[in-house]
Amino acid sequence: MKSKCQKRTHQDCLRILDGREQELEPLRQSNLVMVGGTGFVGTWIAEMVAVLNDEFQFGIKLSLISRSTKEFAGRCAHLSSRSDIQLVESDVRHLSQFPMDADWVIHAAANPDVRTHASNPLDTASVIVEGTMSVLRTAERLGRLKKLLYLSSGLVCGAQSESANGIAEDAQGAPLPEASFIYPNAKRFAESICSAARAQSRLPVLAARPFSFIGPYQSLDTPWAQTTFLADALRGNAIRVLGDGHVVRSYLYGSDAAYWFLKILTTGESGDVVNVGSPVGVTLQELAKTVAKNFDPTPDVILNTAPRSVGRVSRLVPDIEHAQKQYGLSVFTPLDEAVKLTVQWHQLSNH
Amino acid sequence: MIGNRKSTMENLSDRKRPAMHVAIIGTGNIGTDLLIKVLRSPQLDCTAFVGRNLSSAGMMKAASLGVNTSPASINFLIENPNCYDLVFDATSAKSHQVHAPILKKLGKLVVDLTPAKIGLMCVPSVNLTDSLKESNVNMVTCGGQASIPVAYAIGQTQTGVDYIEVVSSIASRSAGPATRQNLDEYIKTTEDGLKEFSGATRTKSILNLNPAEPCIDMQVTIFAKVQSPDIEKLAPVLLQQVETVRKYVPGYEVILGPMVENGRIVVMVRVRGLGDYLPAYAGNLDIINCAAIAMAEEYACVADVKGER
Amino acid sequence: MRHNHKIRISDPTLRDGSHAIGHQLSAKQIAAYCQAADQAGVSIVEVGHGNGLGASSLQLGESKTTDSVMLGTAKKNLRSAKLGIHVIPGFATIERDLKPALDLGVDVVRVAVHCSEADLCERHISFCRNQGAEVWGCFMMSHMISPVMLLEQARKIESYGAEGVVFMDSSGHYLPDDVRQRVEMCRDELSIAVGFHGHNNMGLAIANSIAAADAGATLLDGCARGFGAGAGNTQLEVLIAVLERVGYSTGVDLYKILDAADLAEHVLMKEIPVIRSVSVVSGLSGVFSGFLKPVARIAKEFDVDPRDVFFELGRRKIVAGQEDIILEVAKDLATRAAKGAI
Repeated sequence: MKSKCQKRTHQDCLRILDGREQELEPLRQSNLVMVGGTGFVGTWIAEMVAVLNDEFQFGIKLSLISRSTKEFAGRCAHLSSRSDIQLVESDVRHLSQFPMDADWVIHAAANPDVRTHASNPLDTASVIVEGTMSVLRTAERLGRLKKLLYLSSGLVCGAQSESANGIAEDAQGAPLPEASFIYPNAKRFAESICSAARAQSRLPVLAARPFSFIGPYQSLDTPWAQTTFLADALRGNAIRVLGDGHVVRSYLYGSDAAYWFLKILTTGESGDVVNVGSPVGVTLQELAKTVAKNFDPTPDVILNTAPRSVGRVSRLVPDIEHAQKQYGLSVFTPLDEAVKLTVQWHQLSNH
Repeated sequence: MIGNRKSTMENLSDRKRPAMHVAIIGTGNIGTDLLIKVLRSPQLDCTAFVGRNLSSAGMMKAASLGVNTSPASINFLIENPNCYDLVFDATSAKSHQVHAPILKKLGKLVVDLTPAKIGLMCVPSVNLTDSLKESNVNMVTCGGQASIPVAYAIGQTQTGVDYIEVVSSIASRSAGPATRQNLDEYIKTTEDGLKEFSGATRTKSILNLNPAEPCIDMQVTIFAKVQSPDIEKLAPVLLQQVETVRKYVPGYEVILGPMVENGRIVVMVRVRGLGDYLPAYAGNLDIINCAAIAMAEEYACVADVKGER
Repeated sequence: MRHNHKIRISDPTLRDGSHAIGHQLSAKQIAAYCQAADQAGVSIVEVGHGNGLGASSLQLGESKTTDSVMLGTAKKNLRSAKLGIHVIPGFATIERDLKPALDLGVDVVRVAVHCSEADLCERHISFCRNQGAEVWGCFMMSHMISPVMLLEQARKIESYGAEGVVFMDSSGHYLPDDVRQRVEMCRDELSIAVGFHGHNNMGLAIANSIAAADAGATLLDGCARGFGAGAGNTQLEVLIAVLERVGYSTGVDLYKILDAADLAEHVLMKEIPVIRSVSVVSGLSGVFSGFLKPVARIAKEFDVDPRDVFFELGRRKIVAGQEDIILEVAKDLATRAAKGAI
């Protein structure tokens, strides 16, 4: 018997798959391994696989490898208890064997928490870089591997140029080689390592560059704009926006993202790089207001700190022309809807 | 078990006998795959798995299996000579040049999986008896292991073997940088091996890498130009060779021939690997390892018969 | 782009053409054509077995004339044109084949590999460079991987010190846009020259070659009267005529290359290449053109449709050099047909 929350996320996936399940046909009866599989993306992939199996008899076997399987089992028992989902506790850096003969591998192992990047930059880098080498070396020995999808980052090309509406995959530029940018630098290096594995060992690898996401399963504790605004509103507080609110981001909903990743994994060509995210930029102020209007009474939106420096706007929005043209992907859940669904999910899970 | 000895299983049921102590030097994918095969063998016991890097995937795998490991490589073997009688060398040709004289001085048996070719070329189904007299044998090449049994059968049954040509196709992914940079050596060694074991006047070896996905198994075609092809004579001898090879390489099978096509004898074999540590499509890597294990087991049998263990 | 842009012409009539006659070129034929091509002003004359140096074999067909006689004869009959060879690592070795060839005076070496295996070229390219020869990397069956992957492979060739990279349309599968995209990408990203080698299975060899030139290729291959594997190569004398007409300079004398083509027709060929039904199929299925003769022979032996054999070879993504697989495929098809007939 599904809880109301579980029904919601199930429904989210079903909505995306409606009329599109044949796009993921290559997944049928196959083994999918996800490294770093219990985070936001992993959880949504698991949800999507559950629906593919339950509603469309896809018969996928999913293995989630992570350092936090117990935590995941506690949080998502409806997924961890499934017979078609296996949890494997392992540090990605010490991976010597995949738990099953994998047809597909998604490598997402990294800690996206900026606090960890700041406090533990070496460990952050180690997990990403050494972890990727370990995954690739292990993948080399897979006899049935069709594709390995590496989840890189929309930050690997450094700051978005002010003239560009969205960062395309071939943007020139890179993060500065400083500790503050250890995460995007490590991700960038890991992407090169994947390319090297392809060149040397002929591994069929491609990369996706995730931008920002929103949805259930994102911990409200993390210090991102979308999670902070939600946390504030759910607590009945005013929504506090750090900065002048003119920072521009874009947000793709969890089930959309899961579908995008699976489509890219199964139909993408080795060597491809694809942005994954919404092309619709919103200022943080707009986002805060969007969150706010889902609550009654509507919380105030308080802007903070220094007035914006003239002519400098931080913008991080992907150009998704490649995803659209090559994979037929688009935003299925517009931001308003995405925020509403997320708010409702949190409200339901609090009951 | 190959040769005329009783089968492994039969012998074991007679009485419990201690396995031969073996060391593996070289902890990459080849060495690790060998380890798994050794662990499975009732006649062999791995007492040392040595290399240069304790945190390599192979070392970690060995440690997880309870095998004694060391990052001191050859120095460990020098300092602990009593814990092993036979060494598998899965390092590199260059390294084996260094290891071979050391191990010879220590009086150890060596099965060389590198292209160094210091000792006798060994194809278990063909020259087992001769190989057992040597203390250093090498496993030729993967194409050699797959084709020499066939070439040997041809040499034994056909008159006037003018020319033997072997074409090997392997999955691109099964050929790492070492193979790719040593293509010429591979070709020469295979050609030498073919000549040695078939008596053909001229030999040629060709290697094709195919990047098709899903990865192809190893496929080897043997062509022979002989004065008067006699398939009836060839077939039973070939069958016997193939059956012997299959005892230690279960994934070895004839998929075409023996037949005469366009005036030449043609036999095509396919080798699918066991998938112990290397992927199953890498039959080319597996056949060398299987042959190496078979050789070691034969050494173990001889030592046992001599009461040396 | 076109005017003042010089295109270098490489003529593999005496190498790729070999496929069409089962590698039975004689020294006399080589001498005759070399003289004609040399006089016409082509830049490079490529000579050898259809699959290049050291490829004479049961697998690919045995040469009538040895490599050393072929190359020695050619060298004697070329005055201004450079003598070129096609070399496939895995078939030719440095010691046994390449070194003697360079000693005989070969000027240009094109090291050829299946398009995804550029790292097989490293040692051969290094050797040639150290011997002072002009060396190129060649990608056979280059339609089989994406432009991005092709670029990755081409970078390897560049890093080994080759002068340029040649894309071969070994199965005559390309459309002009495919060629343009690949050549453009390499011209943008690499500092080495790009060349193109066309085959005519889909009737597009000339158009593809022009597209290559327009995209920045500076070396084009063509064979006299199209003498080559399968449906034939880019027809050289036609290519020269078209290049000149659209505004490229080639350094080749039109009348003399037409004469050379006439000579090739009478002295080298048994028949003029034409796109036969099977060639259409091999082009469509992206299978190596050089398979035409062995497929025809083996299909007949096993009483199966050669077109079915080609489609199956294409489905299995068989690459050049894997002629032995034709036997397996034909046998398989015959077995299936027999089972079906019961």
